[in-house]
Order: sequence, then C-alpha cells, then structure tokens
Amino acid sequence: MPIKGGGFQKKSKASQEVPTSSLADIAFLLLIFFMVTTVFQSDRDRPIEWARAASAEKIDEKQKNILNIWMERDGGVYINDQPHTMEQVTAVVGPLYAASERALVISVRGDREAPYVWVDQLQTALVNAGVVRVVFATQLEQSMQRERR
Amino acid sequence: MAILDKKKSKVSAGVQMASTADIAFLLLIFFLVTTTFPKDKGLSIVLPEQGEEAQVSQRNILHLIVQPTGIVDVKRGESQQMVQMRPSEIDGLWRQEVSANPNMIAAVKTHPDAPYKFMVDVLDALKTANAERISLQILEN
Repeated sequence: MPIKGGGFQKKSKASQEVPTSSLADIAFLLLIFFMVTTVFQSDRDRPIEWARAASAEKIDEKQKNILNIWMERDGGVYINDQPHTMEQVTAVVGPLYAASERALVISVRGDREAPYVWVDQLQTALVNAGVVRVVFATQLEQSMQRERR
Repeated sequence: MAILDKKKSKVSAGVQMASTADIAFLLLIFFLVTTTFPKDKGLSIVLPEQGEEAQVSQRNILHLIVQPTGIVDVKRGESQQMVQMRPSEIDGLWRQEVSANPNMIAAVKTHPDAPYKFMVDVLDALKTANAERISLQILEN
C-alpha cells in the first residue's frame, strides 16, 4: 500500500481561511461612499401651495425621467432651479425632451391660487415642445377633508 | 481591608464587541428594506401632439365652464341651457352622461382669472369618475 503523496506532507505556512476581520470595515466604507455620492433630487422645492386632489395617482416613472416645472403664485416659472419666462419654456423643455428620447414626463407644480391663464400658456408651450405626457402634481386629499370643505 | 479589595468577578469586564458589526448590518438592512421614498402624486394627462387637435361633433361634448368663483357652468353640446354646479357634483354627473353616451368628451373651459385649484378640482372629479376623454381649454372672451 503506497502512502499517498509519497510520504511527504505538504505544509503551508499560509492560513487556510480568508481573513474576515476587515470585512465590516470594507462594507462600511462602501456604504459611506455611496451615501455621500448619491444625489436624490436635482432641483430644490419652490415655495408653493399645492393644489389638492382625491384621485391623485402616483407617478409611475423613474425620477430621472420627471422634469418639474414650478409655477409660483406671482407667475414665476422655474425649471431645474432656474427662473424662466413663459416664452422660454418651449426652448428649454424641447431639447431636454429630445435628449430623453421622448420619455420625459413633465410634472406641473402650480400654486393653487395661480390664475389659469398661466397654466394654459404653459400647456401651449409644452405642446409646442412636443411633450405628450404631463402630470398636474397635487397633494392627495382624503375624501373626509373634501366633505368638510 | 485587604481582603475586601480583592473582589473577583467571573463576568468579563469588557462589553462583547464581536457582534457589533452584525447588529449594525441588521439595522442597516432593516431600514433599507422598510424605507419608501415619497413618490410624487398627481393627475396625469396626455397632451395632443402638435397639429393633431381633433374635431369633435358638438353632440358628444359636455362643456364644463369653470368660473373664477369656482362655480362650474355645465352645458351640453349645442344646447344653450346651462346648469350651475359645484366641482364635487361633477363626478356624479359625468357617470350619468357617460352611461347615456359612451363617446362623451369633457371639455373643461377655465376662465383666465380662475385659480388653478378650481381647474384641478374639476379634473379631479372627472378622474374620480374614470373619465378618459378630457379636453383642457381656456375660456375665450
């Protein structure tokens, strides 16, 4: 009966196990790295009073495919933190819409007291920019609140 | 005195630190799983493409004229008869209308000075009644 390995025992000084003591450190480092580099929203909220609607649905679209257009009570229009005039909207939204391969959803965030004429102008500008999908962003209203009104 | 000083305890003096990372990960995974980011809510509409505004027979149109006071004047097709309503009454009306005529289109005409919220109220009522054919216009003169 020959001895396996010819009688030589293979000896290694290296440990058989992978050192795992620094695993947690590595994981936390990654965690902190991603926490620091993650950007959630590109534009800051404007001070508007939201319109309320009971049948508001969640916008089923990726965050990066939603473009917010803020419309303040005094007529200020803001896109990506930049103030614009109503006439500029078509020129600003058009290229963004083309760049997104027509996947962009415009979220109109109007102040509830803003006169409708601005909403209409904005809508015309969006049609001219070729936009199809528009959402009038609202806060969800409970039906209880509606009855009290 | 000397005997009293030599108190011996079998319990280890240090707090067990080996499982700290496990606990931290458990918490982390728990919060990762339970966090939901607030999604935007709203009333979605599909705008007509440029130059594709369709002509519709007056018979199939329900005119909803939103006044600056929030009162809605409801006018059916070519008839001149107008009924005044509150936005919250429109969903019931729409259900009636659409069961009588499935091709009905709601034409929401808002006065230029009417606050945006009244248009949203009407749109909300129509959405509540599952209306799909809605036209948003501005009231001329």
